Amino acid sequence: MDADRSRHDAHLAELIARVALSDQQAFAELYRVTSPRLYSVALRIVRERGVAEELLQDAYVSVWHHAARYAADRGQPSTWLTAIVRNRCLDHVRRRELDTVSMTRDDGQDAPELALPDGAPGPAEMLLAGADAHAIRDCVERLEGGSRQAIALAFFQGLSHGELARHLAQPLGTVKSWIRRGLERLKGCLERANVTR
Amino acid sequence: MNLSRHDRRSRLDALAAEYALGTLPARSRARLDRSAREDPVVAGALREWERRLAALADGAPPIAPAPRVWTSLARRLGLDAASAAPPWWQRLAFWRPFALASFVAAFAFAVTLFAPRTERPVESIVVVLAGPDARPALVASAPRGDRFLAVKALAPLAVPPDRALELWLLPGQGAPRSLGLVPREGVRQVRLDAPPELAFRGVDALAVSLEPAGGSPTGQPTGPVLYTGRLERL
Repeated sequence: MDADRSRHDAHLAELIARVALSDQQAFAELYRVTSPRLYSVALRIVRERGVAEELLQDAYVSVWHHAARYAADRGQPSTWLTAIVRNRCLDHVRRRELDTVSMTRDDGQDAPELALPDGAPGPAEMLLAGADAHAIRDCVERLEGGSRQAIALAFFQGLSHGELARHLAQPLGTVKSWIRRGLERLKGCLERANVTR
Repeated sequence: MNLSRHDRRSRLDALAAEYALGTLPARSRARLDRSAREDPVVAGALREWERRLAALADGAPPIAPAPRVWTSLARRLGLDAASAAPPWWQRLAFWRPFALASFVAAFAFAVTLFAPRTERPVESIVVVLAGPDARPALVASAPRGDRFLAVKALAPLAVPPDRALELWLLPGQGAPRSLGLVPREGVRQVRLDAPPELAFRGVDALAVSLEPAGGSPTGQPTGPVLYTGRLERL
């Protein structure tokens, strides 16, 4: 699995290097191999197909223009790409909360329900599945239930502290401390396990 | 606030963690973005947390975006028609590296399979699927008059235990259609709902993609395409 991943990352790094030289075929190939994963990340956070498609496009426009800026010291190419997409989507959903009168969600409800295929895993399952792929399952499993659930919902669905509190029916302070403690533990555990490389 | 000062490091770390997780409110996100642009210590803390958490994103099953996303992306960037012609499975350039190799291989196969017979070949469709290295990995053939496609792995295929290989029909027009999973070794017979001449009408090629165990969750290829081959009608 890890060997697979590093081969995949080496392929992505090569494609990004060619994209930096304005190689259109490399860009098309990069889109082909990375867009299903990145679109899934975007769609789960913003929960509206049109918006997710637009943000995904923006992210690739940025990749096309800034590929030269990507250097190996930015870490794994898949991490770099994921961060570009996640940050755009998170900026979008966090800013959306600022608008007291939202143009797209005027009912004051939580994010719209997203139709995912039947049997699609929930955030907590995805957190474990993601952890599994990277041998950090122990660290994720060691999180307390509340922390794990809050972190999974925040990470995959982009929920804010307030949305988490409503979703989990807990006081805001509790949710905030679940998140803070959970992240601290995750970091400590990963550093001890030295699996983050 | 100078977040890179030594005594503020744990505050910076906590902010960077919630930035990467996504729970930081809009204004704090924007502030942290600004200071990351000016302060490499702040930027480093963000990257570190993005790296820690990005691995978890692999837990979400991939979802292929609609082909229009690529079309309008290519238009926005003014990419030339050749590489911008969407989607990838209809792009000739995509096939070129292996088209010739698989044609030659298919022809050779057809010859070795059928040359000894003097009567009309019993196969009507043969596809040799090869990876980017052009080495044939799978052969799919449909006998004339029957309603199945036999898919044979020429050598055991290396597939991670939690993944599967899925076979796709690539029509000249429209989206790929799944033909089900492909064996890691040996032969599998895929039932066709029509005789091969009809089942493969308008189909240019077959492809095999790497999917989660049990096959693509979306009904469209989600993983990388490992093998492709052009349809040869005999």
